[in-house]
Amino acid sequence: MPDPEARRWVGKRYKRKEDLRLLIGEGKFVDDIQLPKMKHAAIIRSPYPHALIKNIDTTQAEKLPGVRGILTGQDVKEMSKPFPCGVPIPPKYYSCAVDKVRYVGEPVAVVVADSRYIAEDALDLIQVDYEPLPVVMDIEEAAEPDAPVLHDNIGSNIYSHRLMQYGEPAKAFEEADLLVKGKFLFPKYGSTPIETYAVVASYNPVNQEFVIYNNYQGPFVNHSLVALALGIPENKMRWIVPTDIGGGFGTKTGVFPYIALIALASKKTGMTVKWIEDRREHLLASATGTDRVTYMEAAVKRDGTILALKDKAMDNTGGYIRAPEPGCAYRSTGNHTGAYQIRHLDREVMVVGTNKCLTSPNRGYTCQELYFSVERLVDMVAAQLGMDPAEIRFKNFIQPDQFPYTTATGGIYDAGNYQKAFQKALDIVDYPKWRQEQEKARQQGRYIGIGIATIVDPSVTNIAYVTTALTPEQRAKGHPKSGSGESMTIKMDPLGQVHVIACTNPQGQGHETVISQIVADELGIDPDGITVSNVVDTHDRVYTITTGSYSSRFASVGTNALVNATRKLKDKLFKIAAHLLEVSPDELVLENQKFHVKDQPEKSIAVRHVAGTAHWHQTALPEGMDVGLFASSLITMPTSKPPDELDRVDSSNTYGFCCEVIVVEIDPETCEIKFHKWASVHDSGTVLNPMILEGQVMGSITHGLGGALYEEFAYDENGQCLTASFQDYLCPTSMEVPDIDIGHVETPSPFTALGSKGAGEASCESVPVAVANAIADALAPLGVVINELPLTPSKIWHLIKEAKAKQA
Amino acid sequence: MKPAAFDYIAPKTVEEVISLLTTHEDEAKILAGGQSLMPIMNFRLGRPGLLIDINGLDELDYIKQQDDHLLIGGLTRERTVERSPLVRDLCPLLSQAISFVGHTAIRNRGTVGGSLVHADPSGEIPTAFCALDGRVKAVGPDGERWIDPGEFFLTFLTTSLEPTELLVEVKVPVLPQGTGWSFMELSRRVGDFAIIGVATLLFMNGDGTCREARIALGGVAPTPFRAEEAEEVLAGQAIGEELISRAGELAGEAADAEDDYHASAEYRQEMAKIMVSRSLRQALARTGKGN
Amino acid sequence: MQLKGKYEFNGTQQQVWDLFTNPESLAQAMPGCQELRETGPGKYDALMKIGIAAVKGTYTGKFEIADPDPPNRYQLIGEGSGSPGFVKGTTDIQLTGSNDKTIVTYQGEVQVGGLIAGVGQRMISGIAKMMLNQFFKKMKKELKASGSAGS
Repeated sequence: MPDPEARRWVGKRYKRKEDLRLLIGEGKFVDDIQLPKMKHAAIIRSPYPHALIKNIDTTQAEKLPGVRGILTGQDVKEMSKPFPCGVPIPPKYYSCAVDKVRYVGEPVAVVVADSRYIAEDALDLIQVDYEPLPVVMDIEEAAEPDAPVLHDNIGSNIYSHRLMQYGEPAKAFEEADLLVKGKFLFPKYGSTPIETYAVVASYNPVNQEFVIYNNYQGPFVNHSLVALALGIPENKMRWIVPTDIGGGFGTKTGVFPYIALIALASKKTGMTVKWIEDRREHLLASATGTDRVTYMEAAVKRDGTILALKDKAMDNTGGYIRAPEPGCAYRSTGNHTGAYQIRHLDREVMVVGTNKCLTSPNRGYTCQELYFSVERLVDMVAAQLGMDPAEIRFKNFIQPDQFPYTTATGGIYDAGNYQKAFQKALDIVDYPKWRQEQEKARQQGRYIGIGIATIVDPSVTNIAYVTTALTPEQRAKGHPKSGSGESMTIKMDPLGQVHVIACTNPQGQGHETVISQIVADELGIDPDGITVSNVVDTHDRVYTITTGSYSSRFASVGTNALVNATRKLKDKLFKIAAHLLEVSPDELVLENQKFHVKDQPEKSIAVRHVAGTAHWHQTALPEGMDVGLFASSLITMPTSKPPDELDRVDSSNTYGFCCEVIVVEIDPETCEIKFHKWASVHDSGTVLNPMILEGQVMGSITHGLGGALYEEFAYDENGQCLTASFQDYLCPTSMEVPDIDIGHVETPSPFTALGSKGAGEASCESVPVAVANAIADALAPLGVVINELPLTPSKIWHLIKEAKAKQA
Repeated sequence: MKPAAFDYIAPKTVEEVISLLTTHEDEAKILAGGQSLMPIMNFRLGRPGLLIDINGLDELDYIKQQDDHLLIGGLTRERTVERSPLVRDLCPLLSQAISFVGHTAIRNRGTVGGSLVHADPSGEIPTAFCALDGRVKAVGPDGERWIDPGEFFLTFLTTSLEPTELLVEVKVPVLPQGTGWSFMELSRRVGDFAIIGVATLLFMNGDGTCREARIALGGVAPTPFRAEEAEEVLAGQAIGEELISRAGELAGEAADAEDDYHASAEYRQEMAKIMVSRSLRQALARTGKGN
Repeated sequence: MQLKGKYEFNGTQQQVWDLFTNPESLAQAMPGCQELRETGPGKYDALMKIGIAAVKGTYTGKFEIADPDPPNRYQLIGEGSGSPGFVKGTTDIQLTGSNDKTIVTYQGEVQVGGLIAGVGQRMISGIAKMMLNQFFKKMKKELKASGSAGS
């Protein structure tokens, strides 16, 4: 690979190839699929958060003209098994409620009809008799022994529970000069992709094969799980994910139970069935991030060194737990201590269930929950020590010469220069100036605050991390898991045109574009001429269980696989050219689409002719070489190893850095928030396409802002969902997002071919806590405790009122 | 979210509309902009048997001045009123209020008449209308009638319009020169339903005192309403900060807000006070007599 | 949601008690009540068509006049369900009379679930209060009407 300076396309603002078709309505989404005699499904859903299903009467509904069949929970129970899940006692989780419902919106039956309109008419005619049961909504209450139990076969609402220790936390706590602790509440919020879940399923009774179009985003381990649940071999169930998905963010990992459900509906009715989730369904019963209660305590030296953290984190996965949970509790193991040199850790991890809808990874996949506690606590420590919150972070950062740095929990941070990036953010904001402004403002009775967050953004998932849910003893008895493999195939046609088959399953990240840039640089060709196919087809594609786009892995393992495959192809081209020119490959140079002998430009052969030969004159190829021109790479990151017996695991494989420095002002009367200045500095290694990166950064910032101030899947104490439309689930619009100064620092990863790391989730992890820190800083003189989100004006107003009353 | 089955008809004249309403009464709904009705139908919260599409009644789309009033046809699009130079000049409170209605795309279709009949308690147009003492003309099987200000909004989503009547015209006053006016709103995001909406008018005397004040609040009661006690405090006075605060307090006390997920009743009550004061300050500044 | 309040009636406590435990009067006053059918002592099935403007729904419901302590208090337990969702509530109704005036105090908890709860949060408590108002107004009217007809 030409060194960075010689890159012609990687690192440039090459325009996205995807955009034209998306903008003119020519994208290919699941809903564009029209199959002969296709029918439509609608799902009747529970209005109760916890109830026995006494009876379902579908007789009236079945008589409605246009209704083709109805699938109930009893059918699903007969036709499938519960989904496996990586916890000691999994709940019996089917794709449909069987004799109990455990969250408002849980599917209770599926109607298949000639149109979605008729299917919904039929829903009105279905009579379901429920017997309500006591409800449990609070995480801590759910963990109590006397809580209403959701799953009798488990006997409690605790799905997963582990204690883990790293280093010598007890000793560190004894040596501390100061202990600072807090309780932190992170809300249930999600990603609400613009395209909802979509499934088109057919069952062929002749060969007993399912063919299911869907917008699943990976990891494809769930294909295996659905096959197990349906009781069929994997090769009898073909999933096809079309070219375009309208956003995933982790939410579309949670479509798999609906894939099973609609597949069963198609099997029962003998029809091809399409189900397009509507927005209300999405807000009730798709997938969100977990809400979390954290108790965290820091052991600190007087000079600001943080020696140890002790925390108890309780995640809520809702009425059931489903794969890849309990990933929520273990995903951040490797980067639990964030950007700091904290060597001692005492963790209690719990995953519980309440009567809320279910979860899946959600952009950042609990790093936002984790850092909400860590970064709030760091600010609280700084306040208690009378230290500047920026200063305490510099004090504790991992140093640039320590990389690759292995954390106490087994994470292997590949590269970074946290000081440089953070200083850049502080400079962009002019931090000292705003501290002065804050002083002046305080004297005028105004509330100005500066919020900081400095975090490590992990990307790529080593599937080994899920086995940290098991104790080392349990792991020793079972089958180990590890890896992060991804698949890329590249082919060249007889005229030298290149086509790439990517299994990376993008949901709008622009893989087609970046793949073209990378291959263009590797082969010295024009990216415009490169075509890319990213349909994932479990029959026709080479893939593995880790395949997919989630945890920002394309830029790391995806590009590794691509570069690897491209170099294999290039290597083959060199060998063929050398063979034809009767020289050895290392005598050749590739320039301007021609191979020529070094210093003998007239002894040459065009790439086109090499390609032509490989296809047309197959016996002219070197002995033993495959004919044609293609190369595949299905590789994992080598550091994706299983956890060791001390529960240490490199849960991710590349680690970026992100920091926010945000200046806010709170209107003392209305408590609305205004942003004066905002610097967001990112280190995601080598930048592949700055324009795409900007889009990702702005998107993740906006997403994080949503969690800080606007978004929440809210339930009342009776378990009713209060936010089942966009009227109440508030996603920030462009009007809510202030001007952001985005900065970059590039510390290339030594573990990836191009030095790139993931980037799309970083600000989701940092912004919620940075905004909270800013508000806490603004209200510090009042002694207001900020430990939960979203921070609405009404909530802030009440906090100020209470604080003032206490002071009086 | 697909609506239940319905019949659809697109009459060409007001008479046809009335005839259809007389036949079907409660079972029929008028489709104008559809920006409130379509979601209600798509959620199946409402299932009218017959949708009477009046979008073809061009004769109901107009803005004209008649002496000291503006007459606006019921079918006039919100965006048209918002951008109308006549309205901006002669009744700027209304154009400013409309600019807070949802987003531009919504205002392109939504109609002034539709918004009034829908009677959302936090609706910007109903709130401004309340401050303006607007009147509506309804046409029914017994002919036409004017409905007085204060008698139109009854409760949540309910007006005194009969099921057999069609709102055809809205009448609002031309604001005299030197009138102070202001519309302000507090909402979670730009374009959201108002947590509180405030419309204020200050009609001034030649000597700079306030002849009449009008303060309408939306979003803190089943209908928009006038804070009469607050208005009385300002009437006949030279308005300054103290009176503005007092009026704000009284308006806040008149608000009857509820807790909901987005904001507590207590917060809403306090915001009524704050926003009324802010609105009065803005209105006063616009009279040119503010300090 | 919590609902509570009180209304003054022009009638003796016994008259008001009779009114409030008479299923026909209750049916008349309850918004949208189409039928009320007795299924047991103090227990009734009902069909209600409740709505405001375009937003309408049909609910099949059950009511019970429970724990009566005549003429002082009882518990009104009700639930209704339909496609827009369900409503369930338990309300304590207490009468305090002196001479010809009786104060009816109610205190209760109402749960709303399903579609309306998920998309109608903005107006639910306001509308619930409004309906209660309507109910009590109608009950007052009925008392007046029955009084003028002689008792």
